[in-house]
Order: sequence, then structure tokens, then C-alpha cells
Amino acid sequence: MWDNRCKIAVSGVGYSKVSRSADIPLAAHALEAVKGAIADSGLKLEDIDGLATYPELPATGHAEVDGISVVSVNCMMAMMNLPNLTWHIQVGSSNIGGAFQQAANALLAGVCKYAVVWRAMHNPKGTYQNLPGNMATGAGQFTGPYGFGGPGQGHAVAYARWLEKNGQTRDKMATLVLNQRKNTQHNPHAYFYGTELTREDYFASRMVAYPFCLFDCDIPVQGAVAVVLTTADRARDLAPTPAYLAGYGQRLHFETAGRIGSLSNYMEGGSSSAKLTWERSGFSPKDVDVAQIYDGFAASVIYGLESYGFCKEGEALDFIQDGRIELDGELPLNTFGGSLGTGRIHGLWHIIEGALQASGRAGTRQVKDANVSFVGASAPIVTGTTFIFVRDPY
Amino acid sequence: MSDWTKVTRPIPVPDEYTKPFWAAAKRRSLEMQRCQTCGHFQHPPYATCTQCIGVDLKFEPVRGQGKIYAYTIMYHTGDKRFAAAVPYASIVVELDDAPGAFMAGNLLGADYTEAKLGRRVEVVFEDLTDDITLPQFKLAGE
Repeated sequence: MWDNRCKIAVSGVGYSKVSRSADIPLAAHALEAVKGAIADSGLKLEDIDGLATYPELPATGHAEVDGISVVSVNCMMAMMNLPNLTWHIQVGSSNIGGAFQQAANALLAGVCKYAVVWRAMHNPKGTYQNLPGNMATGAGQFTGPYGFGGPGQGHAVAYARWLEKNGQTRDKMATLVLNQRKNTQHNPHAYFYGTELTREDYFASRMVAYPFCLFDCDIPVQGAVAVVLTTADRARDLAPTPAYLAGYGQRLHFETAGRIGSLSNYMEGGSSSAKLTWERSGFSPKDVDVAQIYDGFAASVIYGLESYGFCKEGEALDFIQDGRIELDGELPLNTFGGSLGTGRIHGLWHIIEGALQASGRAGTRQVKDANVSFVGASAPIVTGTTFIFVRDPY
Repeated sequence: MSDWTKVTRPIPVPDEYTKPFWAAAKRRSLEMQRCQTCGHFQHPPYATCTQCIGVDLKFEPVRGQGKIYAYTIMYHTGDKRFAAAVPYASIVVELDDAPGAFMAGNLLGADYTEAKLGRRVEVVFEDLTDDITLPQFKLAGE
């Protein structure tokens, strides 16, 4: 087990308004979320001495303008003017889960006391995957000329292979998507809060990249979320019940085929990261009371369930049936609605929900007696980052 | 069947890693990067062998027969350059001679509904410019 098991905790969490389009600068969303997380902790701005983010813009072909389309650490420092800042980082790989892990490491190293991690996501005007021009460079030489235009198709090929290899059809995915939309109705911060989705809607929706229909894909939005991390002893003195970090893992997935997601190695990213998390935390999949698994595309959840060890390879679409993943089921899953419900904010919202469930602060969607709370914060086919939060730090 | 005549495919820009691949394609030949130490084929070309960390890599001719490893049918018209062809099949092919090295392509000369795992395909070459010829795929034996 990890020497630092349960020595770090999530305290406050914060959200910005999530809107479909960019009506105000992204920096304002990020600041709203960060200030919200600090206030939720009962801290003051000047208490914050650590900052971490992953500022990537997943939309291609748009300018990266700090404060408008991304919110860098530099931008946040300039806005907050923190008098006691002692540590900051923005990670370039391993996604937002990696930034969160770096903040935990910094707290363990004693180089900061209260760190804020945020993820701000921009929805540019016009086409999201804007692929202008007539040149294909880098790994794109082998994908662009064939109309592999964006990550949707990269994930779709893996999903199609999964379905045919396992003799399954996409119909069963409706259970996941509808359950998540149902959970979304318990999350007032989510983009689709107040918007129901029926089976008929799901099956009538247009195809985007087979086997993905529209509702299998998260909707691009403008918004931000944030968390305050601190050491366990400090967290106990703050207002929220702490969610203790029992363990984490990460594994960058080496994508040899550019944007083409190869199903053959999603297990590697997911299982390597999860293995570290199980070993460090001392838990196994059967101990988990509630799980959040990244769902930018719905199929990422099935890769997650399988590679993290919740079910066998090829069985995930059967595993999610018959109420098992509902709020009162055996493994409540994406209880906040997932990215399919909140809009595309990437994995930090999964981490937030994992922490809220562990600390008993998830409101009307709270899973009863949740102690061991698992999070897979990114698609294992790209990069695995996994976490376990617990209410009981023993 | 997808109408490719109105599609403007982006033109590959060969770099230091990929020049031999495109030079071979121009000669209507498929050459894939192979580790001379362990025999592993890999695609796209890379600086080192991703299997054995070998650095002695060469391009070797391979036959253009293989099978569909995975595919997607594109309906979304976000990429305007390809809007005229939707729905179209983008496929991932595993060549018989280069297992583990996946090539992307479109399924030409067939309905997109013909894209299925395991279907036999063979390479065809599509001239994009005077300098660049694109390997593509059609169903085998047709």
C-alpha cells in the first residue's frame, strides 16, 4: 500500500455557469469556479498557495488565446494576484487528472498548503473540429487524407471493433446514456439539467460517426470546474467533510496510430493505471461503492469498466443493464450525469463527483453509505488517470 | 456509394520519418517501417522500434493484402472537405505481411455498408498530385 494513503484530501469544489457558447471570456468562467471552490472550503483567496491545471483546447484549428480559449496558470496568477503563492504547474500530458496528481504530490512534498486545480473548457464559434487547409502533416499524414477528421472517428473505430468482436449491438448503450441523463437531473450545474432524454430520442438521433449517435458524444460547452486540495490534517479543520485520496495511478497510452484509437491497447492504458490505484489504495473493484468513469464518448465507459477490472473484457454492455449502474444499484455510475450530462468539461468533474460522493455531499444523488469512490478521469484509450477517494481514512 | 469526386483530400506532407513510405507509394508499392533487430513492423513510422527499442529501422516492401481491423461510418459533416462523401467508410486495415501495423483508408468502390471486421481488402493507389500517391483500399478480388 501507498505510504501516503489518505494523507491528501479534496475539500471545496466550485463550478462556473456552463453555457453552450462563449458569451464571456473563458477566464471569467475559470475564476468563478476557482473562487467557488475556495469559498466552499471556507478559505480566503490569500490562503491559496498552489495552482495547477491542464489548459489544452481539444477543438482543433482554433487559436489558443490565453483567457479566451484556454486558461493557463499564468492567466490565473495574473487574475488572482495571490500574495502567498509558492507552487504552480500546468501539465502538458496525462490530462487534468495528471494536474490533480501533481498538486497532491506538491502538498505531500510540503511545498504548498492549499492547492487549487481547475479545468476550463472553451467552445469556439463555428465548427468545433475546424480542419482547414489542404495539407496533412505529422501523424495526420496517415489519417487526414482519409477523412479521419477528429477524435470522434478515432474512438468510433475502436467501438465498432469492440461491438463486432464481441457480437454486440449499439442498442444496449442506450441504458448508459439514459441513466446518465436521469442522474443529470440531480445536478443543477450540468448543461442538460432540466432536459430529459427518452429512449425514443436516443434511437431517433442522428449518427455522427457510426457506432456513435449524437447522444453518445458529449456536447461542447463553455465552462469550468475547480477543486481545493490540501493535506488531510488541514482538510479536517475546514468546513466540508474531506474526501481522502486513498490512491491514484496514471499511464499515458502510447498511440502509435495517431488519431486512430486501437482497441487492442486500450486495456494497457486503463489497466496499468488502475492496477497502481488498486495496489496503492488496498482496494479492489469489488470494494467500490460508486464509480465515475470518463465518458466524452460513451464507449470510453465500457473500456473503463473492463480495463479497470469491474467486469470482463467484452462484457461491459451487459454489465450496465438491469439497474446495476443506477443510483441505488450495485455500482452507481457517473452519478452526476457524466460529461454526457454536464457538457464537455473533461475529467475534473468526474474527480469532483468522486470526492463529493465520498464526503457525503452529493445531495439528492448521494449514494447511500458510499465510502469507496472510484474515478477514471480520462479515456483509457488516450491516457489513464484513476483515483480512489474514501470517507473513512483508515 | 460515396461520391469522392467532390472531396478535396488534404495532401500528406512527407517528413524525415515518412519520406520512404511516400516515395514507395508514388511507385505504387507499399513499404512499411520494420525493425531490423526484432522484425516488428510499425506504422506510422517512428524514431525507434516501439517493441524492442531498436534503432536500426528500414522500410521493406509488403504485399497490399489484408483485412479490415476496424472501421467507422462518417455521417457528420464537420469536416467540410469531406462533406460531399458522407456517409463514407473510414477503415483501419491490418496487412497480412505487417501484423500490428495499422493503416487507415477508405473503402473505395463499395457501399459503406460493406465495411465489416475481417473483410478482405487490397490496396489501390490514388494519385493526389504529381508527387503524392495515396494508398487506398477496395474489397479483395473485385
